[in-house]
Amino acid sequence: MSRLGMFAARLAPIVIGAACVAASTLAVAAPARGGREWLGEDMPLPLAVKTPQDLAVKAVAEKQYLIFNLLAGGKMAWDAGDYATAATKWESLLRVPGLDPEIDRVIRPLASAARGQAAPPSTSTAPSSVAASSVAAPITAPPRPRLENVAVSGTISGGGASGPGGAVVWLKRANGETPRPAPAKGKVISQRGKQFVPHVLAVPVGTKVDFRNEDTIYHNVFSLTKPNDFDTGLYKQGGTYEQTFKKPGPVQLLCNIHSSMLGYVYVVDSPYYAQADGAGAFTIKGVPPGEYELEVWHEGASTTTKERVNVGAEGVRGLALRVGGDRRAPEFVPDKSGKPRQSHLGY
Amino acid sequence: MRRVRGLTALLVAGGLSLVAGVARAQVPGAPASSESAPAPEALEEPSENDSDGYTPPADATPSVVVGGYVDVGFAHAQGDGTSFAPGDTRLPADYGVDTFAPAVNSRGDVASTDSHGLFTNGFLPHSVGIGGRPSFLINTVAADLKYTPPSTGLMVFTRVLALPRFSDTGDATHVLVEQAFGRVIPFDSEELALSVGKFDSVFGIEYLDNESNIRTGITPSLIARYTTGQSVGAKLFYRIQLAPLWSALSLNMAATNSGTFVDALQTPDVSLTGRPVGSVRLGYELNRPRVQAKLGASGMYGVRNDQSDTAARQRALGADLRVAFAGLYVNAEAVKVDEDGGGPKTNDSGTFMFASAFHGRGFYGQLAYALAVDAGPLHKITPYGRYEMRHAWFEGFTPITVDRITAGLRVDLWEAVIVKAEILINRELSGAPNVANNVQTTSVVYSW
Repeated sequence: MSRLGMFAARLAPIVIGAACVAASTLAVAAPARGGREWLGEDMPLPLAVKTPQDLAVKAVAEKQYLIFNLLAGGKMAWDAGDYATAATKWESLLRVPGLDPEIDRVIRPLASAARGQAAPPSTSTAPSSVAASSVAAPITAPPRPRLENVAVSGTISGGGASGPGGAVVWLKRANGETPRPAPAKGKVISQRGKQFVPHVLAVPVGTKVDFRNEDTIYHNVFSLTKPNDFDTGLYKQGGTYEQTFKKPGPVQLLCNIHSSMLGYVYVVDSPYYAQADGAGAFTIKGVPPGEYELEVWHEGASTTTKERVNVGAEGVRGLALRVGGDRRAPEFVPDKSGKPRQSHLGY
Repeated sequence: MRRVRGLTALLVAGGLSLVAGVARAQVPGAPASSESAPAPEALEEPSENDSDGYTPPADATPSVVVGGYVDVGFAHAQGDGTSFAPGDTRLPADYGVDTFAPAVNSRGDVASTDSHGLFTNGFLPHSVGIGGRPSFLINTVAADLKYTPPSTGLMVFTRVLALPRFSDTGDATHVLVEQAFGRVIPFDSEELALSVGKFDSVFGIEYLDNESNIRTGITPSLIARYTTGQSVGAKLFYRIQLAPLWSALSLNMAATNSGTFVDALQTPDVSLTGRPVGSVRLGYELNRPRVQAKLGASGMYGVRNDQSDTAARQRALGADLRVAFAGLYVNAEAVKVDEDGGGPKTNDSGTFMFASAFHGRGFYGQLAYALAVDAGPLHKITPYGRYEMRHAWFEGFTPITVDRITAGLRVDLWEAVIVKAEILINRELSGAPNVANNVQTTSVVYSW
């Protein structure tokens, strides 16, 4: 015991130093925690796997990670007097297939010594719950507790003379890929009273929008906004034209007949989005906690507003965002060939 | 000690191999780490955030819109800025048939009309008076005001131009109410618009591009002075859609105090005879998704507006074509103008002793290619070229034929700035000595 304690004590700085190097290099998702809980026992490692090569890399990394954790975790348990945990970790280490013989040679007597020191389970020195959970962690990673999705809400100001209404707000994950949204169903933009109703519609990528003529005159809908450009041709009252919006970004809607008609579809590539009401208020629902890039588009702003948002378990409330108002509605909207029209001429 | 060294080595080696393993996993080309999630393509998350969209309340849309533009430039005309040939001693030295070709700006103003004492009796254009001196110009400061009461079908529009001129030998600085009219769209079910006031011509197509913040190039065509003038009166526009043919037919007609000549050539805003001049354009348009083609035929008839003799008539016929395809724009227009002779003539440039009968024919064809660019402030680059010819004569005088070749480049920056540069090669083909009167001109237009 005393001999093992001596060498373990001398090894402690080395173990901790190496662990710190590994943890900082890995940028492991698990935050540093107090007490004796080991830094990096969350498994599997957050390495994306898309190819067989990714899988091979991940398998190697996780094996090395497991060995390191069992090795150092046993040492930390030993130092804390938790011999049962130390024994369990080191015994687990010795069962890792293909273990380096040098590790086996060094650890096997240590595991045996720890087991010898460990009290029977019924009389154990009440290892902490943290330590107890860490025993099982390296073998079968504990499922990460799933946090409830939450809401992100706030108010947008700015937008120039027309105000912030209709601003489109969306979140994209700051670390990792944002889930692809499912297309929305039943989206309609009407031509009513020589206006697009709604004036601005936010839809997820892949959404099919019905353009419906509710006026007694012919209408046309076209957009020159690439890559979502389209042209419905002419259609009369009651007629409908379907258009699927496949690429993210703003899409300006125009009518080749009526130069005063102007509207927008904003295509978002995130399931976490909302549109501001007339007062600028918005709520994005169903957001998993995490770090996000928030972005706001408004027709009256020449650039989008961006902000980093940390969404906690309680969500985010009271965000105060501002969009620009430097971009006026175009006075001379183009016809479908791109030629500007003066709306006061002709029709 | 041996065990200590062994464990130390193991720990260090384990840490390093771990670091190395992870580092290998992050080489370029390797996928970015992602919260142990499956590939994003595999996820398709139904959203709780479906939006019904946003429509501003009717009273939120401003009923008064104020806009406009400022057009400044730099121009240089060869020679003395006129088309008078030095040493031309013909008698009568009448340059009435508009050899004042070297237009230098978007208004069609010429560099100079100084005839050096020679008798002139023609349709004198406006002049910026810079002669042959390269000069900066403030071409136009325009202010538009549009008032549209909600849900009424009414609109009131005014466009006021300030034309600062700083040369003693050119026009004086003046302010021009170029347009001021009310328009009503009486039926929701018809494309019918009625306008009353001072408005653009309905003849041809060049009036559609009359302003420098709209026109592709800088200078108007040689025939623009016969077709793009504003006048006071009443106007009707009607269009019917032929949906199965992706087509439409339109009728644009007006009865006005004066004809379609520009303000320099006709008495502004009043009728000297009390009889209106009628003008009309019939149009056909094909609006396919990738191709637009528009054809038109125009006519104008009425008493000659620059004199009080009601027997002196003016007539004009025109044809126009516009084709747009994949960023390529073709514009072409031809016009035939005839005016009867009459008594003393009054126009914006003054009163003249007599008015000869006048005949003019001309055409232009313009080709432009708009290349959309998304590079910072750069939005669009449009090279363009134009060829045009005019043949005209006063009765009793020698017909004069001129042509002009124009090449230019237009650059659209941000959403409000246009920079244009243009070279005009002016040639006197017959009836007058050829003169060195080519022009280089530039224009910067800021819309607000």
